Amino acid sequence: MDHDHTDIYARLVTVLSDKFEVPADRINEAATLDDLELDSLAVVELYVTLQEEWQVPLDDSTASGDLTVADVSRAVAELLGDPDRGAA
Amino acid sequence: MRTEEIAVTGIGLVTPGGIGTEATWEAVCAGRSAARPDPTLQGLPVTLSCRVPPPEKRPGRLWRHDRGTRFLLLAAEEALASAGLAGRHWDPARVAVVVGTAAGGIDTLETQHRKLLTAGHTTVSPMTLPAFLPNMAAGHLALELGVRGPSLQTSTACASGATALITACLLLQAGACDIAVAGGTDAMATPLCAAAFAKMGALSRREHDPGRASRPFDKERDGFVLGEGSALLVLERRRHAEARGAGPLALLVGHGSTSDAHHPTAPHPGGAGLRAAIEGALADAGAHADDVDHINAHGTSTPLNDRAEASVIRDLFATRHPPVTSAKGALGHTMGAAGAIEAALTVLTIARGVIPPTANFEAPDDTTAGIDVVTGALRNQRLGLALSHSLGFGGHNTVLALTPV
Repeated sequence: MDHDHTDIYARLVTVLSDKFEVPADRINEAATLDDLELDSLAVVELYVTLQEEWQVPLDDSTASGDLTVADVSRAVAELLGDPDRGAA
Repeated sequence: MRTEEIAVTGIGLVTPGGIGTEATWEAVCAGRSAARPDPTLQGLPVTLSCRVPPPEKRPGRLWRHDRGTRFLLLAAEEALASAGLAGRHWDPARVAVVVGTAAGGIDTLETQHRKLLTAGHTTVSPMTLPAFLPNMAAGHLALELGVRGPSLQTSTACASGATALITACLLLQAGACDIAVAGGTDAMATPLCAAAFAKMGALSRREHDPGRASRPFDKERDGFVLGEGSALLVLERRRHAEARGAGPLALLVGHGSTSDAHHPTAPHPGGAGLRAAIEGALADAGAHADDVDHINAHGTSTPLNDRAEASVIRDLFATRHPPVTSAKGALGHTMGAAGAIEAALTVLTIARGVIPPTANFEAPDDTTAGIDVVTGALRNQRLGLALSHSLGFGGHNTVLALTPV
């Protein structure tokens, strides 16, 4: 795994695990936020948290439980101007 | 005449004295003040507070809950375990939740408002309202416990926790539930609350000597120290408790509630409303002033409260002089939680036959003389009837009467 391209994903996993108490072994790129049992409030809170974390205008009106962890990671990366950074 | 006796079968405490009933009881009995300089209040006119120490065991889903709700959830775990209900062997439709609070999720509200002003609306948490709204501590507690009986919050400022216990008592006697998890919580040691209380002159300015800042009934009292915390009691009809094999800790045999209709914040100088609440509680209990063996006073350490309360105690209990304790010398003023915390301490006083002292009481002034403030050491004394007083801004007065089983 290229560490330079995984920092966003790694941080996302940490946020999901620490703040939202998702068991780390359930988190993978293909898992949707629904799969991780984040309800509608948690999905928006996740976006607010990532927005603050990375200082990017992540639009929570696009947030939904259908998104995968990889989708969220990629959305942050695109706002940082480096789509590759979001991928593991 | 009361139709059903109400039993206290469990206690949970989260206070500046510590996490848990034993930690709090030990701090109060030792007369050990929790007041400390508070880094979160730097730059304000008063920077002292009594904080709950960090918990060893944190409740889950922290991001969803205001600080006060976290205290409440911790207190609930202990209260239910104490009542033998940790396994939740109950009909969830017959369990009520009643929580008193003065300020709701004020810590959340202040934090999110600062974010709105400094970082913009996009950073405001979607949990702001579910964490702040004044009903939501009860809502979250009912959710976490999975109970579906009545859940509500009471707000009578610093009498809120006692009002919650009275409300729970009424729900039980009305048959609306079989078990009530009731008490109070508040986490108001926030910058806005500290600034506002300081502006009205309610807080002690004894910053050079924090441990002696909260000194109920003492001649050198100069205000309260802002505290935080939570207490929950498990209440049941006595017959219900005994039918499931639970041993009651004490009985809640009477209560009185009145209003001063005098001033937004100052108590009636002669304590007329408090006196009427005491008389109401005694009548409800079928008791007389001479039956009272102990008073857990409101005792805030403000000049006005302690003067009014001492006046009532001195006059109403003139022939017997029951010993008086204010826990606020040790714990500070825990606001909407205070009535429930002090009710819990009164239950422990009854159950253990030990009256705790009032921390920092050294000598009265003319306005607080003539009452028997317990000071220095514990008193061993078996009690027949004890009262717990609570007063709140708005002129609220509540009194609980408790006895051994």
